[in-house]
Amino acid sequence: MNPLTRFIFELQEISVLIWRSFASLFSAPRYVSEWIKQMDLIGVGSLPIVLLTGFFTGAVLVLQTHPILGGYGVQASTGQLVATSLVRELGPVLSALMVSGRIGSAIAAELGSMVVSQQIDAMRAFGTNPIRKLVTPRLIALICMLPLLTVAADIFGLIGGALVASGLFNQEMSVFVSSARTGIQVEDIIGGVVKPIFFGLVIGSVSCHKGLSTTGGTVGVGKSTTNSVVIASIWVIILDFFLSKALQYLLGIGQT
Amino acid sequence: MLDEESNEPILADGTEVITDFEEEINDRNRVAPVIEFRDVHLAFDDKVILDGVSLSVRRGETKLILGRSGGGKSTLIRLILGLLKPDSGQILIDGEDITDYTEEEMMRVRQKIGMVFQEGALFDSISVYENVAYRLREQNVDEEEIEHEVRRMLRFVDLEDAIDKMPAELSGGMRRRVGIARALVGDPEIVLYDEPTAGLDPPTARTICELAIKLRDLQDVSSIFVTHEMNNVGYLSSEYAIINHDGEIVFEKEGERLCLINTEVIMLRDGKVMFNGTDEQLRSSPDPYIHNFVYGKN
Repeated sequence: MNPLTRFIFELQEISVLIWRSFASLFSAPRYVSEWIKQMDLIGVGSLPIVLLTGFFTGAVLVLQTHPILGGYGVQASTGQLVATSLVRELGPVLSALMVSGRIGSAIAAELGSMVVSQQIDAMRAFGTNPIRKLVTPRLIALICMLPLLTVAADIFGLIGGALVASGLFNQEMSVFVSSARTGIQVEDIIGGVVKPIFFGLVIGSVSCHKGLSTTGGTVGVGKSTTNSVVIASIWVIILDFFLSKALQYLLGIGQT
Repeated sequence: MLDEESNEPILADGTEVITDFEEEINDRNRVAPVIEFRDVHLAFDDKVILDGVSLSVRRGETKLILGRSGGGKSTLIRLILGLLKPDSGQILIDGEDITDYTEEEMMRVRQKIGMVFQEGALFDSISVYENVAYRLREQNVDEEEIEHEVRRMLRFVDLEDAIDKMPAELSGGMRRRVGIARALVGDPEIVLYDEPTAGLDPPTARTICELAIKLRDLQDVSSIFVTHEMNNVGYLSSEYAIINHDGEIVFEKEGERLCLINTEVIMLRDGKVMFNGTDEQLRSSPDPYIHNFVYGKN
């Protein structure tokens, strides 16, 4: 199969998976306890790494941009720059990349080993639809939790930025805060929350698909895991561009 | 039928493992096959797996499927469960043509079937109890009944002590036995075994075969037993289980005077049925391929 055919084929498979997974929401059984378990694993479990990522991203942004802005005499705007870039871009994208590394790989590895040890077959043989029981809860959990994680990352990024600005550059905290406030519009926040919803969908569907289509024993599990992280991360970055463009158009942000 | 002759007096003892035999005698469809393959073909890309396989399993009968590894034996079982679909031909379960059934329709059919997977295929994120209870949970049975059933099944495979363990804590043989207990929950009429003794030590393998014999003779289960080990064939086709006067289950050899007719052997080669008959016929077959398989040499 040539690469283009394979790409279209996989895209089709992933679309079917998403479709089936959401179609299963409209009939019982829904395994809601499974949703909550996944939300805990994915949301609460990823909180530490996402907060750390956010914090140091905000901190380093200030570290790098404050002197440059100082060269133009507008160091008071550091807060605005940090807030805008975090809320619009870095928060959503970096959180999604961290989650795709931590959760995407775990999902692909778990489902992949269930396939090779025949647990998926066993599940079907005992009357469970694996999409309902395994895929839907993971997709729902990612779609719900990634926006929340992103907001948490944004907040910690601003805290990190504020601490560096006041600690290293002796900027008044109130200056940073008021500048950050002018940097964040309602549209930015909406955009910053809408993006992770799509990123969650991409990470979940790619990793579930990769996991469930594992072949070739334990080596295959390794391959699926790597592929799921790589493909999900690339798609997050590509999708980010198009989502940004679409949001700019729809919400009229970033065009000033 | 002979198997019934050996069963009926025992059934009169009225132990709970025994099915309702009046119903059994009145069942006119007893000779009708429970599982039937009609000229089934299946190929993956260019590799032919099954090439016109026809076979049938009657009620209460065990069919042993022999063949080399990779010869389509496990595929046969996956087809019965509807995990795979054949390219052509028909598969009937209880007279129902399941060939074109959707996944949803198959769910209903699968409730009649218990499946013992190659390595057990236990769900390793949940305990032995939850594994065995799995099917009942899916059917929203209440907790009291679930516990009763799970304990009954684990007692059957002699593993009640392991009820709270995780699958990872069990040995290979124990995992298979839990797999059997899980397959038997809900008293399925059909049980499929996919190489249940592969990689086990001889005494454990023997235990697994005894479980299969008990199910066949005392619970009237129809089954397909996929294997490539000749000693399994020896056990299953020459021994039968009865309950003695003390109420214990004992295994007896068929000996000279009896001949078990509820167990037959099918041998697959290159996706075709090359032999179908009793173990005696298999052992005395002049075919060099069969001779080689049975005795390990020409």
